[in-house]
Amino acid sequence: MKSVNNDVIIKGNKYGIIVVLNPDISFNELKEQVAEKFRESSKFFEDAKMALSFEGRDLNNEEEKEILDIIENNTDMKIVCIIDNDPKKEELFKKSLEEKLMELENNTGQFYKGILRSGASLEFESSVVIIGDVNNGARVVSKGNIIVLGALKGNAFAGACGNTNAFVVALDMQPTQIRIADTIARSPDKPVKNDVKEPKIAFLEDGNIYIEPLNKDVLNDIRL
Amino acid sequence: MGEVIVVTSGKGGVGKTTTTANVGTGLAMLDKKVVLIDTDIGLRNLDVVMGLENRIVYNLVDVIEGNCRIRNALIKDKRYPNLYLLPSAQTRDKNAVKPEQMKKLADELKEEFDYILMDCPAGIEQGFHNAIAGADRALVITTPEVSAVRDADRIIGLLEANEIDETYLIVNRLRMDMVKRGDMMSSEDVTEILAVDLIGVVPDDENIVISTNQGEPLVGSDSQAGTAYMNIARRLLGEEVPFLDLNAKSSFFSRLFGKNKKI
Repeated sequence: MKSVNNDVIIKGNKYGIIVVLNPDISFNELKEQVAEKFRESSKFFEDAKMALSFEGRDLNNEEEKEILDIIENNTDMKIVCIIDNDPKKEELFKKSLEEKLMELENNTGQFYKGILRSGASLEFESSVVIIGDVNNGARVVSKGNIIVLGALKGNAFAGACGNTNAFVVALDMQPTQIRIADTIARSPDKPVKNDVKEPKIAFLEDGNIYIEPLNKDVLNDIRL
Repeated sequence: MGEVIVVTSGKGGVGKTTTTANVGTGLAMLDKKVVLIDTDIGLRNLDVVMGLENRIVYNLVDVIEGNCRIRNALIKDKRYPNLYLLPSAQTRDKNAVKPEQMKKLADELKEEFDYILMDCPAGIEQGFHNAIAGADRALVITTPEVSAVRDADRIIGLLEANEIDETYLIVNRLRMDMVKRGDMMSSEDVTEILAVDLIGVVPDDENIVISTNQGEPLVGSDSQAGTAYMNIARRLLGEEVPFLDLNAKSSFFSRLFGKNKKI
C-alpha cells in the first residue's frame, strides 16, 4: 500500500493530463493523495499550461474546484480548462451545439438568382431564397428553409439534416415533391381543380407535410 | 462573317429537321447564302426532307476526316442556288466527330455563308454537343406537350451552361381548336414555363407531311405553316413580324375575301 499508491494516477495525452481518481476512498483522503502526487511531480510539470480531465470518480462542482485548488497550490502549472469525460454531459453539449448550428442554418441564408431548369440540382448549407422558377425536373436541397420567388414545380428538400421546423415557401406552389427532414410528400396524381395561384407554405406537422396559403396565422407559427 | 444557328429540342420527333429545312430555305429565299448541316450522324434525314438524297457523294464525316474538301461535300439545292446542304453520314455514329472539329468546320463555313443551320439530333449526348459546339444562336423547338416542354427546358439549361445565351423558342404543331377547348397548352403557356423569347408558332398542318414526303420545303407557300416558317426566317433577320392569327383560318368569310393575307 505504501510502496505503490494507485489512488491518484496522472496520465498524459496529446492535449493535457488525465487524473484518474480512486472512487472508493473518502474525499479527504483523496485530497491528500492529490496534493502529494502533484507535489512529487511539480518539478516535472514546471509552469506548463495544461488542459485537465478527471476520470474514475464522479466529482461535483465543489469537489472539482477543491481539487483544482490543491493542484494549483502544489505546482506551478496553469490549468487552462477542464475537459469533461462524462458521456451524459458530452451528449448534452453535442445536442446544444447541433441545435445552435441548426439554428444558424435556419437563420442564415443566401440568394440564388436564375431559373433552375430540368436537370439542375442545387444544394445549400443554409437557407436559400431563389429568385426565379424551379422547373420540373430540377431539385433544390437546403439544410434550412427554401423560399422560391417564382414557381416551384420541381423537387424541394428543406431541413436536409433533419430539421423538422424547416419550411418551403413559393409564390406558385406546384411541386413534384417536397421533402422536409425525413418526410416526403408528392403532388396529387390529378391536378387540383380551382387551385388559386397564391403564395403558399409547406411545413411539417405531426409527421405530415401541409401546404397552406401564406397568411398571418401561418407566419406566426413559423419557428426559426 | 456568317452566323451559326443550332436547331435543337432534346425530344425527338418535334420537328427539328422540318424546321431546319424550312427556316433555312426561307433564309435562302430572302437572298441569304445558307448552308444546312445535318449533324445527326447515323440517322440521316435532312437530305430526304430537302429532296437531295440522290445527290450525296461525300458527307460530314468525310469532311471532318479530310477525305474531301468542304466544297466537294456541299450539295446545292434544287430550287435555290444560294442554299446548300452538308449531309450527314449514314454508316457511322455520333462518336465519329468531336465538338472541336465541328467548331472548326463551322468557323470555316462562316467565312463564306451568311447562315449556317445545324440540325441537331435528339438527345443530350455526343451528337448534341457536336451540334452546339460552334453555335452563336439556338432555336429550341417544342410541341405543346409536357414531355416536349420538359426536354426543351433541359436543353435550354444545357445551352446556358455552354454559354449560348441567345436562345429562341419555336412552338410547333399547335392546334388552336384544342387550345380553345383547354386540351392543349397555348404558346403563351409554353413561353411562361420556359422563359425564353418566342420567335415563332407553327400550326399543326397536314401540308407539312405532304411537303416532307415530297422533299420540298413548303416555306413561303400559302399554307399556314409555310407562312409561319417564313415569318421565323424574317424574324431571324431582325424584322419585326407580327405573329400569325391562327384563328383566322376557321372563318369562312375571311377566307372568302382573302383578308388573311396580312399574316
